[in-house]
Amino acid sequence: MKPAQFEQHEPETVEEAVSLLESLDDRAILAGGQSMVPMLRFRLAVPETVIDINRIESLDYLEEDDEWLRIGALARHADVEESELIAEKYGSFADTAPLVADPQIRNRGTVAGAIAQADPKGDWGSVLLAHEGEVVAQGPDGERVIPADDFFLLPYDTTLDENELLTELRVPVPADREGSAYHKLKRKVGDYAMAGSAARLVLDEDGRIERAGIGLTAVDITNVRATDAEAHLEGERPGSELFKRAGELAAEQSNPESDEHGDADYKERMVNVLTQRALADAAERAGLVKRRVSQ
Amino acid sequence: MTNAREITLTVNGTEHTIEVEPRQLLVHAIREELDLTGTHIGCDTGNCGACTVIKDGEPIKSCLMFATQADGSELMTVEGMEDLPEARGELHPLQEGFREEHGLQCGYCTPGMLMSGKALLDENPDPNEDEIREAISGNLCRCTGYQNIVRSIEYAADELESVAAADGGERPTDSRSASETRSDGGVAVDGEFDCGVENCCGGPTTDRERGGESE
Ligand SMILES: Cc1cc2nc3c(=O)[nH]c(=O)nc-3n(C[C@H](O)[C@H](O)[C@H](O)COP(=O)(O)OP(=O)(O)OC[C@H]3O[C@@H](n4cnc5c(N)ncnc54)[C@H](O)[C@@H]3O)c2cc1C
Ligand code: FES
Ligand code: FES
Repeated sequence: MKPAQFEQHEPETVEEAVSLLESLDDRAILAGGQSMVPMLRFRLAVPETVIDINRIESLDYLEEDDEWLRIGALARHADVEESELIAEKYGSFADTAPLVADPQIRNRGTVAGAIAQADPKGDWGSVLLAHEGEVVAQGPDGERVIPADDFFLLPYDTTLDENELLTELRVPVPADREGSAYHKLKRKVGDYAMAGSAARLVLDEDGRIERAGIGLTAVDITNVRATDAEAHLEGERPGSELFKRAGELAAEQSNPESDEHGDADYKERMVNVLTQRALADAAERAGLVKRRVSQ
Repeated sequence: MTNAREITLTVNGTEHTIEVEPRQLLVHAIREELDLTGTHIGCDTGNCGACTVIKDGEPIKSCLMFATQADGSELMTVEGMEDLPEARGELHPLQEGFREEHGLQCGYCTPGMLMSGKALLDENPDPNEDEIREAISGNLCRCTGYQNIVRSIEYAADELESVAAADGGERPTDSRSASETRSDGGVAVDGEFDCGVENCCGGPTTDRERGGESE
């Protein structure tokens, strides 16, 4: 089906985009278009105006400074997949990128667009939550920083204001003894998750877990944190018994729905297994960083 | 057309200037404005990959992009394959591979498969089976069961390598051993069953894990 008629704007700066958002009534932002184009085609979205942000070159970056890994709004899934920085230091991002959709979609779709889309089955939201990341938005009143924990409201609904452009996602640069991972269960290659679990562990000098972050995919109305499991992990030494209990707690806290791909019980068991696997990988990677540092 | 706009697309080396509405999908511009109907439309959802074209060197789904977003870019579609130097005026080695290895039945998915295969071989001239499967993972085929498509792309990789060798050999030599080559028929690849009949169905699939627990 063809989308309905719309006017189109192609701003080249963030300021231009924000002033368009402010001055126009019935408008939609178009980034990678991998969710938006189907919504326009099915006429689930029938905006008068489409603001295509692909020409805003200043938003096309993926970089690290002293404090943050910064992902600009035009960084594509494929940019994360191909990044050496990611491969070296950000295990959960490196795990996730190749599991999102398929190569063609990863060449166009943006990480920020996926976060803005706020599909509970989306993978990146779990990673952002596990890393205690932040969303940076630009609106008529300037910049606003939204913690990932305060971002997702409902399926396809976030706390982003309708006059705001999401400009950047960021997560803290890993500590010396930090590791992260993502595990996803899907029926076949290219599919959305039936369940997914992102884990991040920061170990202290004694090798105890100082901080734990776990984000879950497709098992609640939004991407959610498994806070009971996180609390259980903190202060303890990593180990399979500990991770087993954390997996159970994550499963207990999740709220999957039965559907044609599996019933709720099955999905809860998968949350348990995927969380244990993500934690084991995260712990191993935290250890690898430690060894490299001590050499 | 109310708010139509002029855009320039270089398709298979030829520059075209056309008028499109903002809502016009790239795949419709290619098929309807440029009359290049080799690029297919198989779904409404971005799932099937039949509409895959190569934009500025990268495979994309042309049904998930507006034509205006391709303004100024270089596109390649299936129609451009026989004009490439490695086709030597005939079928491109990939197309030849699909013929030789029975990589198509109804042919609906084939143009998209060829584009994904082309993009892969441009990046990685000597892919292994997993890399080929990953590269075509955004392309659905309802007929072949994929086995022969994988072989078709392997055939093209070998063929392209010998073309390059004949032309002075820019490409590095193939590291695969003779026992891994398919074209001799009847030789197992990675422990996969092969009855030895050329162009067969591919035999029962080995239940191999791909992508961890994700399958
Ligand atoms: C077949 C298929 C399979 C997929 N599989 C997966 C999968 O396995 N996992 C997964 O996570 N995703 C999957 N996706 C979704 C894909 O990741 C999309 O790329 C992503 O959801 C949207 O990103 P986009 O850049 O394409 O955004 P768009 O489609 O352009 O936009 C999506 C939404 O976000 C808004 N938006 C975009 N950018 C901004 C911004 N900077 N500021 C404010 N609002 C903005 C848009 O207005 C729109 O509402 C799949 C999509 C398809 C078609
Ligand atoms: S027609 Fe484009 S993915 Fe199906
Ligand atoms: S040959 Fe029929 S869909 Fe692939």
